Amino acid sequence: MSGLKKVLKLRTVVSASAGLAMATSVYLAGLQIALSVVGELAWISILVAGALCMLSAMCFSELVSLYPTAAGIKLYIQHAFNEKAAIAIGMFYVIAGASIVGAESFLLSSVMIDTVGVWVSPMVDRFFWMSVFILIVAYINYRGVQITGWAQDLMTYLMFAFLLAVSIYTLATHKVDIGPALHSPDFTIGKVLTAAGLGVFLFVGFEWVTPLAEETEDYRMVGKGMMLAVALLAITYSLFVLAMYVGLTEEQRHSGTTIPHILYGRNLFGAAGGVIFIFMSLLASVTSFNSGVLNFSRFGYAMARANILPRVFSKLHPDYATPWVAILGITIFALALCLFTLFSGQFMFIITMAAALECFIYVVISLCLIRLRKKYPDQERAYKVPFGKLIPIVNIVVFTGLMLGIFAETTRDALGRIMFRNYWVAVVMAAFALVMTAYAYVVVPRLQQAAQQRTSQRRRRRPGQS
Amino acid sequence: MATSKDIMEALADYKQQCNNNQRLRRMQRDWSKLLHFVAKDTGDSFTMEVKNGEIISNREGTHGVPDVIVTATSEDMCDMFWGDLNPAQKYLDGEILVKASPEDVQRIDAITMIIWPES
Repeated sequence: MSGLKKVLKLRTVVSASAGLAMATSVYLAGLQIALSVVGELAWISILVAGALCMLSAMCFSELVSLYPTAAGIKLYIQHAFNEKAAIAIGMFYVIAGASIVGAESFLLSSVMIDTVGVWVSPMVDRFFWMSVFILIVAYINYRGVQITGWAQDLMTYLMFAFLLAVSIYTLATHKVDIGPALHSPDFTIGKVLTAAGLGVFLFVGFEWVTPLAEETEDYRMVGKGMMLAVALLAITYSLFVLAMYVGLTEEQRHSGTTIPHILYGRNLFGAAGGVIFIFMSLLASVTSFNSGVLNFSRFGYAMARANILPRVFSKLHPDYATPWVAILGITIFALALCLFTLFSGQFMFIITMAAALECFIYVVISLCLIRLRKKYPDQERAYKVPFGKLIPIVNIVVFTGLMLGIFAETTRDALGRIMFRNYWVAVVMAAFALVMTAYAYVVVPRLQQAAQQRTSQRRRRRPGQS
Repeated sequence: MATSKDIMEALADYKQQCNNNQRLRRMQRDWSKLLHFVAKDTGDSFTMEVKNGEIISNREGTHGVPDVIVTATSEDMCDMFWGDLNPAQKYLDGEILVKASPEDVQRIDAITMIIWPES
């Protein structure tokens, strides 16, 4: 069989995987991690989170080599367990994951208000900026404008180069007191692991490149790309969070700022530093927003075509061939989330939920891997996770522990006041999962029945088959 | 199992349906691709050339370097070209494999959806 005319290179798989994970919210999350453990040693928690995500990347790699299709996670779960579980978990994962847009747009609006000042009132201005970003990205997707491979590479590697350069410069020009940090009462294994649980958030989205397997010649490239992306992110974030922590003043660290990276940039290079970080923020957010809307709209289209969502979500624009109803749906959902975040101010709730959600999906993936090895031991796998069941079992134990650890914690603001008790994250996730399960068991069968009725009423066109 | 002749017959009808559908032609006017279809059970393969949304040719065998490779059973392939199958369902179940960009995957499915919306 011949190969494709255009195949993805490894560097584009890496840039796509890493690009999905890099967003404005990682700067604030990085500071939160540093504040929850001793700041000078937060890099340990981030490396621990990175190493654990690497184990998950290995599990994803084996599953991608088994099922190299955009159906991805839904298919893994379907073959490992059953279709209803696949629909419930798949939809729960995608829709709950989309909620990150609430936090991301809120933080981006903070960047814009800090840059251009308040025009009407903080609340109105915030909603304006949040809406502008979402509507711009929605319009880009509605028109079918796509970021090319090389543009993706350029943007992501530029962001990496910048973060690494700034980090190295900071660490070379600032004193880093590791000694006292090591003896601090806040430096405990428990705190390091709790911070690592939140650190998982920094890697959210790296696994969304599994559909790219369809554009590669060798399915192992997707797995390799994910692992390289996780490694690159872990190293970059470790250095950057340490540098940002050291580069902020004590007052700035505990001010409750939502734009620590801008303050850090200004501390380093004055107004120019702030401008560069604002640009990097916009770049990170727009590319991850765009990828999010693109992936979710395609997901919505595919689910509608498979009679899992109402058919209206499969409508294509007559000129642009884009799934405009699915795009409209995700846009309305994103705006609703923005309003929620705006009025509640609970962007940290969303960030915490995203971290817990990632832990949950890594547990699910590891369970799928073990079950599929048992069900289909002889099915071809271009890549197989080494050491038998050890890595998936470690994944299940560790990520379950991290998730429960997240739920057991209390999120506090910079002044130590309680923002929310994290068990509420578990409550919201459980409620959401129940709704999706009810949807899979009650609504989907009706949609599929209606589709079957339509098909049975239609005369087959193939000669000799009616 | 569908024979090569069955699939070529289906492709001929598919070409006619696509090229005569003005709505589809308008939507796909900027889409020019070379597609390979491979029947995984019989080993038969086919090449379809699309230029500006119009199917120019269907041939047996694989010719040229493709933008898209679709792999399915011969029966599914035949049913798909006759419009008797929802390819999206089979694709999400992993029974039809497509090697292509996500945009091209959507475009291919769009053909079936527009010509046979009740599928």
